[in-house]
Amino acid sequence: MNLILEKQALPGLLQSWREQYDVYVPQKMERFSHFMPLTEESVLVTGEPHNTRIPPKALFLPMTETLVKFTRFGGYEDAQQNVQPRVVFGIRPCDAQAIQLLDTSFIQEGYTDPLWLERREKTITIGLGCHQPCHNGFCTTVGYGPFNKSDLDALLTDLGDTYLVETLSEAGEACFQDLSPASDDIYEHALEIQQIAHDQMPVAFETENLKEKLEQNFNSKFWEEVSQSCLGCGVCTFLCPTCFCFDIVDETQRKQRVRNWDTCMFRTYSLEASGHNPRPSRVERTRQRLSHKFVYWLDQVNQIGCTGCGRCVRYCPVGIDIRAMLRQAQTLPFEVSHAV
Amino acid sequence: MQSEARSPYTPIPMHVLHAYYESTDRSLKTLELSFDHAADSQAFFQVFNPGQFCLLSVAGKGESALGVASAAWEGDFVRFTAQNVGSVTSALHALKAGDALGMRGPMGNGFPLDDWKSKNLVIIGGGCAFSTLYALTKHVHHEDHRGDYGKLTLVYGTRTSGLCMYKHDIAAWHEDEDMEIHQAIDVPEDNWLHHVGYVPDVVRQVAPSPVNAVAVVCGPPIMTKFTLPALVDLGFSPENIFTSLEKRMKCGIGKCGRCNLGPKYICKDGPVFSLAELNALPADL
Ligand SMILES: Cc1cc2nc3c(=O)[nH]c(=O)nc-3n(C[C@H](O)[C@H](O)[C@H](O)COP(=O)(O)OP(=O)(O)OC[C@H]3O[C@@H](n4cnc5c(N)ncnc54)[C@H](O)[C@@H]3O)c2cc1C
Ligand code: SF4
Ligand code: FES
Repeated sequence: MNLILEKQALPGLLQSWREQYDVYVPQKMERFSHFMPLTEESVLVTGEPHNTRIPPKALFLPMTETLVKFTRFGGYEDAQQNVQPRVVFGIRPCDAQAIQLLDTSFIQEGYTDPLWLERREKTITIGLGCHQPCHNGFCTTVGYGPFNKSDLDALLTDLGDTYLVETLSEAGEACFQDLSPASDDIYEHALEIQQIAHDQMPVAFETENLKEKLEQNFNSKFWEEVSQSCLGCGVCTFLCPTCFCFDIVDETQRKQRVRNWDTCMFRTYSLEASGHNPRPSRVERTRQRLSHKFVYWLDQVNQIGCTGCGRCVRYCPVGIDIRAMLRQAQTLPFEVSHAV
Repeated sequence: MQSEARSPYTPIPMHVLHAYYESTDRSLKTLELSFDHAADSQAFFQVFNPGQFCLLSVAGKGESALGVASAAWEGDFVRFTAQNVGSVTSALHALKAGDALGMRGPMGNGFPLDDWKSKNLVIIGGGCAFSTLYALTKHVHHEDHRGDYGKLTLVYGTRTSGLCMYKHDIAAWHEDEDMEIHQAIDVPEDNWLHHVGYVPDVVRQVAPSPVNAVAVVCGPPIMTKFTLPALVDLGFSPENIFTSLEKRMKCGIGKCGRCNLGPKYICKDGPVFSLAELNALPADL
């Protein structure tokens, strides 16, 4: 359903959802915007030409969360997470796409992560399309786009004083039930804006044969060259909306086992008890980061595991740019594979 | 596999039935664990397959992946042998009969036993990684299963005779007409009646026939690295050579990302792979 929402009416609408839901919206936190619970005083941030610093994956896979509680006599109990039904408003299409990618890992027959599943089932996601190209983003390059609808319950398009609301599920419809329908003219106009936004996104690198090139040059000098200035700080993976690696550690004092975000960019990540490390230097670790996104995700679910959000480019302290790395990768030699 | 009863991150309550040192230097300890609840035991044995592993949990210390060293027919318990190398494994070594601990599993695929039916089996192990091969041998050797397989050949190497695990069964297998067993130690010792040398060399010397045979290799990385080409030289095809891989693990269910080898997670898609499968994966071990 296509509806019209006056911008003036948005704050009231968000507040009205609080009767039924915990509502999360991007708000200012120090110099950055961040998804936080909506309160009466909350100031919504929608005008930034880029994303929140921490991706909304954190709402589904918190940076730290309890997995297991230790009981008094050496036993174990499931952690209770007590998630209320939620609406996440203002999620950008690249980040919503990332949630869909993460679903393929966390929700699998016989291997479903119950904590992830519960949060997913209890959350309505309302997207805000990007009508102006964001800095560093490259969503169209990796096959997604600024008005991508994947995994959203509704998508908003900024039309100036109003938003076009495209509802994409029953839950999304219910959130906007009191709005009046958009005329065909307005809808056409919104589609035009969407198309222009899409066309304005630059092509950051070619993806054709990229997988084969990365695969076939596993032992190339290329990896040394592109990882030379890397500090191994892990920011690129921490802030990546599709990175999901976690560590499991015991907190003795709190009598619980927790999981914390972790990163393949750390040396200890793959260090084994024997002292052997399959990825002893930043060369192998950079190779893992890029190969996971541009080779292994494709092998697993036939989708690129990068949604082009641009965070790793924006926040890398030494200015390492994945787009430049992949442009360089495109110059590597390769053979056409005939595998089916 | 996932149980309805609890989160896949929550260990099954177990307790130690028997705990004893497996090697004379006390670096290896075997734990036989039994289930606190019959329902957990049932669920475990419904799916258990030799070659699988579990995560043993000591509250406050963490979890360690250990291969299952028992066959289902042995009874209502699960056996593990842990080498004391760090914080969790030293906590496991401190356990005694009656102590409580947690276990998650069984995890991973295990050996493709159905595909191996009617074939000759060449089982090659070294060090403490022999544990799952011990489970495999006990399974295959049992009268209910023995008829399903052809000739059984075992090559087992340890650094010293004192590090040889499961000595009672190994001794019995030397006497067993039904099985060909070749045991080796790295350096000569007095009164040692078997091979002296590294496993890959022993394999070349014993030269098992590749005809209608599969070979399965579990050992320290260096042993595996040199044994696989020895088998290829003997005429085994990559499809008929199997090995069990190890990488650092956390979740054990393909979620935490830690144990990936290319697009595969060793915990969930492995740990058992054929050499043909491995050849198609990146060399990231
Ligand atoms: C599939 C599989 C089967 C295994 N089977 C056996 C076995 O039958 N007997 C045996 O003695 N050992 C086995 N191991 C190795 C064993 O898991 C590690 O030696 C053990 O986890 C080390 O933990 P620690 O806390 O004592 O050492 P620490 O060095 O204190 O370990 C720190 C952390 O690293 C992790 N870790 C370190 N090395 C490894 C590793 N190689 N594999 C997995 N996790 C690691 C542990 O989870 C632990 O949380 C197996 C490993 C895997 C992956
Ligand atoms: S953010 Fe930059 S410096 Fe830090 S690990 Fe990533 S590539 Fe290396
Ligand atoms: S141990 Fe977590 S993915 Fe394998």
